Amino acid sequence: MNKKKMDKLIALSYKDKYFDKKIVNKIVSVLSRADLKKYINGLKLAEKKRSLIVSSPVIDSDLNKFRKLFPHKKIVFKKDPSLILGTQVIDNDIVYEFTLKNSIDKILNHIEQTYD
Amino acid sequence: MIDNDKIIETLEKKIMTFGRDSKTQNVGIVVKNTDGVIIASGLSRASMGEKVIFNNGNSGTIFNLDEDNVSIILLEEASGIKEGDIVRTTGEMLSIEVSEDLLGRVIDPLGNPLDSKPKIKKGKNMPLEKIAAGVVEREPVSFPLKTGIKAIDSMFPIGRGQRELIIGDRQTGKTAIAIDTIINQKFNKKPVICIYVAIGQKRSTIAQVIDRLNSEGAGNYSIVVSASASDPASLQYLAPYAGCSIAEYFLEKGKDVLIVFDDLTKHAWAYRQISLVLRRPAGREAYPGDVFYLHSRLLERSVKLNKENGGGSITALPIIETQANDISAYIPTNVISITDGQIYLQTDLFNSGIKPAINIGQSVSRVGSAAQTQTIKSVSGKLKLELAQYSSLAAFAQFGTELDNATQKQLDRGKRLTEILKQPQYSPLTENLEVLSIYAVTSGAMDDIPTDSFQEFEKEMHDFAKKRYPEVLESLSTGERPTEQILKQITKLVEEFKKRFR
Repeated sequence: MNKKKMDKLIALSYKDKYFDKKIVNKIVSVLSRADLKKYINGLKLAEKKRSLIVSSPVIDSDLNKFRKLFPHKKIVFKKDPSLILGTQVIDNDIVYEFTLKNSIDKILNHIEQTYD
Repeated sequence: MIDNDKIIETLEKKIMTFGRDSKTQNVGIVVKNTDGVIIASGLSRASMGEKVIFNNGNSGTIFNLDEDNVSIILLEEASGIKEGDIVRTTGEMLSIEVSEDLLGRVIDPLGNPLDSKPKIKKGKNMPLEKIAAGVVEREPVSFPLKTGIKAIDSMFPIGRGQRELIIGDRQTGKTAIAIDTIINQKFNKKPVICIYVAIGQKRSTIAQVIDRLNSEGAGNYSIVVSASASDPASLQYLAPYAGCSIAEYFLEKGKDVLIVFDDLTKHAWAYRQISLVLRRPAGREAYPGDVFYLHSRLLERSVKLNKENGGGSITALPIIETQANDISAYIPTNVISITDGQIYLQTDLFNSGIKPAINIGQSVSRVGSAAQTQTIKSVSGKLKLELAQYSSLAAFAQFGTELDNATQKQLDRGKRLTEILKQPQYSPLTENLEVLSIYAVTSGAMDDIPTDSFQEFEKEMHDFAKKRYPEVLESLSTGERPTEQILKQITKLVEEFKKRFR
């Protein structure tokens, strides 16, 4: 199956932001083993593109603002105490860092590069 | 020494800015790791040639950009990277830190020291890939770069900013010519910085070269960039570009640089290996389609800048190893067409005792004669022609036919010229001594000296001239055409020495 057709199948597998179970089951049952592999990989990539991961040391109501900012994305909240303070937002392959951990890492990096 | 106050001040500044500056990172996930080439998904904002960092601290550079993934070549051993690892872009193109501290050091293509000397201080960040200087910034080659080898300086002169290929089979003395040229730079009034780039060679061979450079006193103006046979193909591929970046740092300061690429055959092999693993379409001899561009963009960076741009130069001596003297193979023809001439070394000549084993007929220097001084030009004018005629006559003479007097004379002169152009390794000569030797033969003053004692005669004659006729040698160092009087003095010098030698 060519890429164009596979992309079409992946797009059909979604209903709004979520998988359409019925359609996915139907597609899986008719695909060959090789195409199934491609389909699963494609779904994984599509899932990544459609979701936004918000990590923070504390989950509070303020984080709900992200739902308004990204209405077309599936928002996933994650609790990560190692970030110390602030928020980290992962949008597919772009990571936005607003955390204290990142600032400390930057300072460390700066010191390493300047005073080696 | 670290200044504590400065550190505190920087830390304070950095902490004050916390919360205001965000950091955007482009990340990817390792999908496949094959022989030092990583396929990663994501990295949608990555650019070609960008440096990337893996979670375990390893680094790599982007080599292919596809629709859903990117290909990365690793710059270290590939052992620690597995499927699912995170890889981040850095926003930096691959570069090397260059400073004067590199002089006398041995480094890898990323600038890490390989010798046991102190850490190299950080300097200017020079990109590994750079577009060569344009035509407006350049000027024609006009100043000689002396190799100290009689045969080359007289017949195939090299100018500063030229690219002269050294080509030949294994064990014909290619590296020896390059090393002699580096050693000879110590005689220059204006220093020439020398960079020796070892690509895909045995570590023992590289160690020998370094040892020789140090023992001959060439270590303090030389830099060795080493990517040995046991290093990853990616490092072997990057080594000549790193050497060129270092050369460009000194070029920017208006200095003259000599760079030796030893050798570009192995560089092409490394690139072929990477390209095949990346599944790029293979062409002739399984090399990728852009193998010509690989070398042309490297050698185009050799330059002679005009005075407005500092007047510096980069002279390149690329080396190519042929198989069974086949200079018409793919890579040799490519590099021959890129360079401004070639010095062709032959196994037969080497085995018959002619060292350096230069094939006069097939060697050429296309721009160097403009840079040759009048002194050496005046004595070596007919040299190449006479020697070329000699080799064709010598082939006929082998049939044992009777020869007329003129032919016999020509053969005899050719034999003597061949003999005087022989030169032992690691003993480059200054221009005045080269002129003295060549003129002594071409003028016929050495016609009564048996050819088997030429080497000894020449060596002792040089010592004699240095002691008794320093003014003659001085006048031959000016670069001007020698006057009739000086030529007469040279003849007198030879005649006088002949009496002592016998």
